[in-house]
Amino acid sequence: MSDTIIKASGFGKQYGAQVAVQGLDLDVRRGELYGLIGPDGAGKSSLMKAVAGVLSFEHGQLEVFGQLLDSERHAEAIKGRIGLMPQGLGQNLYGDLSIEENVDFFARLRLVPRAEAAARKEQLLAITRLAAFRHRPMKQLSGGMKQKLGLVCTLIHAPQLIILDEPTTGVDPVSRRDFWAILARLIAEQGLTALVSTAYMDEASRFTRMSLLHQGRKLAEGNPAQILQQAPGWIVQCRVEPQLTAMQRLAVCWPQCEAMGPEIRLFVPEADQPAARQQVVDVLQGLECQQLDVLDAELEDVFVAMLGGKQNAATVPVDLLAHTRSELAGRELAIEAKGLGKRFGDFVAVGDVSFQVRQGEIFGLLGANGAGKTTAIKMLTGILPPSSGSGRVAGADMQQAGALIKSRIGYMSQAFSLYLDLSVVENIRLYAGIYGLDRKARDVRLQWILDMAGLHGHENALAAALPMGLRQRLALGCALVHQPRVLFLDEPTSGVDPLGRRAFWDILFRLSRQDGVALLVTTHYMSEAEHCDHLALMFAGRVVADASPQQMKQQVLTEAGQLYRVYADHAAALVSPLQAAGFANVLPYGSALHVLTPDVERLQQVLRTLGVERPPQPRPIAMEDVFVQRVSQLEAQSQGGGQP
Amino acid sequence: MKAEWQLAWRRFAVMLMKELKQLGRDRVLLAFIVYAFTADIFLAASGVSLSLNHAATLVQDLDHSPQSRELLARFQQPYFRIDGTVSQDAAALAALDQGRAMLVLSVPPQFGRDLANGRPTSPAMQVDTTNSVLGFLATSHAQQIVSQYGLESAMQRLGMGAEAARSLPQVQNDIRVWYNPNQEDSWFMGIAEMLNIATVFAVLLPAAAMVREKERGTVEQLIVSPLSPLGILLPKVVSMTGVILCGVALSLFLVLIPVFAIPMKGSLLLFFTLSGLYVFTTAGLGLFAATIARNLAQAGMLSILILAPMLFLSGAWTPPEAMPGWLRGLMFASPLHYYLDIAFGILLKGQGLADLQPAILGMSGIGVLVFGAGLLLFRRQFD
Repeated sequence: MSDTIIKASGFGKQYGAQVAVQGLDLDVRRGELYGLIGPDGAGKSSLMKAVAGVLSFEHGQLEVFGQLLDSERHAEAIKGRIGLMPQGLGQNLYGDLSIEENVDFFARLRLVPRAEAAARKEQLLAITRLAAFRHRPMKQLSGGMKQKLGLVCTLIHAPQLIILDEPTTGVDPVSRRDFWAILARLIAEQGLTALVSTAYMDEASRFTRMSLLHQGRKLAEGNPAQILQQAPGWIVQCRVEPQLTAMQRLAVCWPQCEAMGPEIRLFVPEADQPAARQQVVDVLQGLECQQLDVLDAELEDVFVAMLGGKQNAATVPVDLLAHTRSELAGRELAIEAKGLGKRFGDFVAVGDVSFQVRQGEIFGLLGANGAGKTTAIKMLTGILPPSSGSGRVAGADMQQAGALIKSRIGYMSQAFSLYLDLSVVENIRLYAGIYGLDRKARDVRLQWILDMAGLHGHENALAAALPMGLRQRLALGCALVHQPRVLFLDEPTSGVDPLGRRAFWDILFRLSRQDGVALLVTTHYMSEAEHCDHLALMFAGRVVADASPQQMKQQVLTEAGQLYRVYADHAAALVSPLQAAGFANVLPYGSALHVLTPDVERLQQVLRTLGVERPPQPRPIAMEDVFVQRVSQLEAQSQGGGQP
Repeated sequence: MKAEWQLAWRRFAVMLMKELKQLGRDRVLLAFIVYAFTADIFLAASGVSLSLNHAATLVQDLDHSPQSRELLARFQQPYFRIDGTVSQDAAALAALDQGRAMLVLSVPPQFGRDLANGRPTSPAMQVDTTNSVLGFLATSHAQQIVSQYGLESAMQRLGMGAEAARSLPQVQNDIRVWYNPNQEDSWFMGIAEMLNIATVFAVLLPAAAMVREKERGTVEQLIVSPLSPLGILLPKVVSMTGVILCGVALSLFLVLIPVFAIPMKGSLLLFFTLSGLYVFTTAGLGLFAATIARNLAQAGMLSILILAPMLFLSGAWTPPEAMPGWLRGLMFASPLHYYLDIAFGILLKGQGLADLQPAILGMSGIGVLVFGAGLLLFRRQFD
């Protein structure tokens, strides 16, 4: 049998006149963890469904396991060897059945012999650490557990190829890392081949090889190192006062420029490191530069650089937001939560939450699925009355001045709650009316929102017809129609591609700095947490850490040590021996490992005994590492509490 | 104070426009509404009949005398339709079993001779009474025909002509038919169906509009805004009431009046005003459904659960006097019961405010209760 599992040549798929994929070549080999990366509508799902034999296509050829997929019958022949997990959390599972019943059902559906199914079920439940919850109904599982159960059900008939469509979307970082670790182990132990798509660019480094798709075409292909070489450049991270002026200057020269709390991070497409540094220093001439680091570019930066030329993200004219309410941008308190709690029957969703947000500050609320972030936001916005505690929002008391608060805050929910059957302008006018704007004020704000969100030319399009990125900015516009002092955003970027996310954060940054709006944001993208001025980490309904991103990183560095990246041929196989040797924080990271340790000497020694000669390389710690380290620690402490 | 009202009005206006626009863009729902208020009412009015019409009849004439032919010939259209003859009893029973015939008329042998000789004789009729109403009607019509024939042949034997019947001491049945002089079923069925459809949409439309907001998550966006729960609800109910009144107008002026010639005896203004009141208050039941349901499918099923007893207990099919006592009590709790009285009263009888007072009071009383309860439940779900 040949080593090629999937081979596509000139593959193309059309939905009516809409071209989803065009002239695509693909070659996936045995044992690979192959990634498909790209923004929404790039054609990832179409390609995966075609490979699984559940979608017919018009152009080119597709071979799976050496079988040409040219007819219904031929496609049927390979389905037994394939496991497909469709997009959407627990979408293929049955909510009212328990974990065990779900697995048994899929085993019977796939006609797996009883004894074999039982043995495999035990093995898979053990690997995914779901065995302890086997009688719990699927609908009561957390997002991460649902995803693992989905994986178990996909694997129960021992497929040789598994196809996972965005398996980690909507799952928190800890569960995501866990999922990738399990997947890496299964691939290594069971000789699987996996075709996986993801919307999280920072996950790309976990793939053995990958293709970057855009509008149905392949932009780049290769392993992480090869992809990095395709857009050579450096990341410059600096801290300059005043930040806004520096941002404006830098963004003119390098569009890939974002604010990270008080710092600025930009991608300089220049192969030579000192030259890159010098260029930035030249542009910042005359400003007070407190710190300037030049770092390796990450895959996400390269992707954005490659996509950037193809797709024009809305760029906001700098002075657009400048009709300022800067009198607010003082150090006035915008949100103050004092011991807020919410109980649903016996279940304590939020225990005792206290924090403060000032005007002009971007405040991030982080936490795993079910940690209580959404409930906390719903209490502060007045959707849910708190069971205990008190708070002040936008200068008024939560309990006494609900109506006053409502006129001063904006809220953008997870689902971008727009009226999909109304047009862009109709949506904006509706909210303008609800907030009582008169005709003149309404027209001014309408123009402002169209400018801000880059919606010109889409005025009369129905909201349903907009791509996710535009829909998200329209939702933001609607939440801002009455110029609120405080803006609540509940996972405002889920489902939006990286370019859209960057444009969105650019707007949020300007809102906070120029208009002095206080922003409270929750997110699952840890790269976004770096944009925040201040973070609160929630765990099991409580705030367990409350500091700036820098302080949080510093704290982890002091407690757990420096972050090192270990390169090895079979990195995944090193996890258990390293953990046995006393390194608690070891995680697979693509074809490498991430290890947190205060003692690099010992790490090097242990690695040598394991046959790894290449020295571990120090890396700047990222918010994701902080989050995972923190939450793992807390979970270990609360073991027996029922959470895996 | 004035600014306050202005603000409330502006909010109400934009929300109302939003609801109408959304409904206008839902082509499928719109088509369904138009269909229900026109074609469906046309079908109900022209198709459904509570009287005996063309009952499939088989005859078993074992006599073949002039008398037997005379009797059988009196079973005529439109009530009876003679489909053929059978000779065996078994064949007659089989035809009834298989549903090929609803009636089998048997004339015994020597029917004619017995009649001529003055001996009593009795033809037999077998009736399929699966549908009890039709069975009852068939029996009574047949009885009338046979007894009329019996009377005439008795008089003939006594040597009296048909005109002599008038001189017999006989009680004359003189019926005066009011309000529906030709006893057209289509008038009753058409109007009853229109009221039923209005009721169905009065429950379903606000429930669907509310649940859609829940499903999309837009309701949270509204709660976060300065809108009060009433400010969210009222525009929905008002707009849906308007749409349903348009539907009622459609069926009155496009179907019932031109096609079935229903006379508009009473005041149209009064009818539409009271219809508006009815639909508005009945929407409370829809809000109740929307409060409990999590998605559109659940809301639909709950609405059916609410609607089914409402329609059966409305009095459209059985007058309250004919119901057992405990059901009659329930009936007075159904707003549709009063609405039926009002609608028939205005449309066919030409009743005015004075005649309808008890019904209007009953409908408003129950309506306010229903709407109030719906509103209360709706508010409570956000606390």
